Amino acid sequence: MFEWLFNPIYQGMIIEGLIVTVEVTLFGVLLGLGLGTLLAIGDLYGNKPVKGAIAVYVEFFRGSPLLVQLFIAVYAIPTLLNFPIDHTVLAFLVFGLNSAGYQKGYMKGAMETIMGDQMQAGLSVGMSKAQTLRRVILPQAYRIVIPSWTNEFCSLTKSTSVLMLVGIQDLTGAGRSIIVSTMEVLPGYIFIAIIYLVWITSFSKIMDIIYEKKKIPGIELDMLS
Amino acid sequence: MTNYVMEARHLFKTYVEKKAKKTKEVGGDTCPTGKHIVDAVQDVSLQIRKGDIKLIFGPSGSGKSTFLRCMAMLETPDKGQIFLGDEELTKSGVDVNKARARIGFVFQHIYLFRHLTALGNVELALRQVLKLPKEEARKRALDALAEVKVSDCINRYPSQMSGGQAQRVGIARAIARNPDIILLDEPTSALDPELTGEVIDTLRDLAREGTTMLIVSHEMPFAREVAEEMIFYDEGKIVETGPPSQFFNAPNTDRAKRFMDRIINRTTRE
Repeated sequence: MFEWLFNPIYQGMIIEGLIVTVEVTLFGVLLGLGLGTLLAIGDLYGNKPVKGAIAVYVEFFRGSPLLVQLFIAVYAIPTLLNFPIDHTVLAFLVFGLNSAGYQKGYMKGAMETIMGDQMQAGLSVGMSKAQTLRRVILPQAYRIVIPSWTNEFCSLTKSTSVLMLVGIQDLTGAGRSIIVSTMEVLPGYIFIAIIYLVWITSFSKIMDIIYEKKKIPGIELDMLS
Repeated sequence: MTNYVMEARHLFKTYVEKKAKKTKEVGGDTCPTGKHIVDAVQDVSLQIRKGDIKLIFGPSGSGKSTFLRCMAMLETPDKGQIFLGDEELTKSGVDVNKARARIGFVFQHIYLFRHLTALGNVELALRQVLKLPKEEARKRALDALAEVKVSDCINRYPSQMSGGQAQRVGIARAIARNPDIILLDEPTSALDPELTGEVIDTLRDLAREGTTMLIVSHEMPFAREVAEEMIFYDEGKIVETGPPSQFFNAPNTDRAKRFMDRIINRTTRE
């Protein structure tokens, strides 16, 4: 049933697939965090055109299927630009841009609960808006947003399985290829699922530890309610 | 050259208060809906010399806080000028952040930085604004915290302090930069009565050291003791100014008289 597990070729495929999955998730979730933060700042402090552009961006990435976004990026954009771009690069970007659409919401929500009085306080001691954002608002917002960020990570990890539909061999893709040749359907998929489970659970645990470690009395998720 | 630490000339500020839509009260009354324009500051001029302690008081909603926030450039006045020493803050192109660094501000609702300890709260501007080296910033922060007598809770976060301690940290944060003037917006009115005493004591200490202060407050015994001048403010205007004795004995205007009566009666009844 599980003999194939000891085949070095299959082992290599699984490890390579896992690496792709981990890479694209981490890249996506970090690019999403950076870009999501900028979008949140733009939405809170920008003028009307900026806010409008951000709204369009967010609605596009939240309102259309990730797979469609991937297809557009991988199959349409290189043709439009008449310039070959590596599929993996485009796919990574799509995950980051997509995640930014969601993370902007988390960051904005967190910042809104902090902004009013803390911005006043920052300005009152002579700091600029930008300094206050960086030194006061964001450090608090990131602490509040950690649990939502962990959720985003979980869902993004699982979404990466659509990568195989644009020809990128991620963990699910690797599993599928192995199953096609071994015909061990149930054990194969169960094994793949377990890898996802272990990776997501360990990462969430790490984030829980960071959350607890970085927690400051008085700054908690319940501020959002 | 002016002799004033700070000066307001013919200041105006109105703001639009948005009322909640159709708020139904229990009695069946409905609140007025729509926009409501508040004339918070209407042609207000004020001069403050070095070492002055002036106290603004008046009914709530009269615009005292808005005026004070304009002085600190936390709100931009619609019209008029504000001078800090010789520098006009209301001129376009002035770096208001730099100007604010020379003004201490104490908030009614304290507004400490929630992610920083008492020490961190005081240190932040010393590091970020005055760009002091770490050691020196720490030393000055500790001095400021010692001055307001909160040395025992320097490592506590705002949520772990009592209101009185937090407000004294707020005062330490305002004085640590050695500002030219400190503006205090009802520094005790959000505190429990038994905690106001410790904050008042701190302000008394500052007064003794000759700190220039403009205070919005209704702490009448304190006003009587430290203020050189009291300013009665109502409906966006300075109605009457004078030494405490004038207000406590015989205010010139009826409005000030009625207000003083109410306040003094309330105080004696307690």
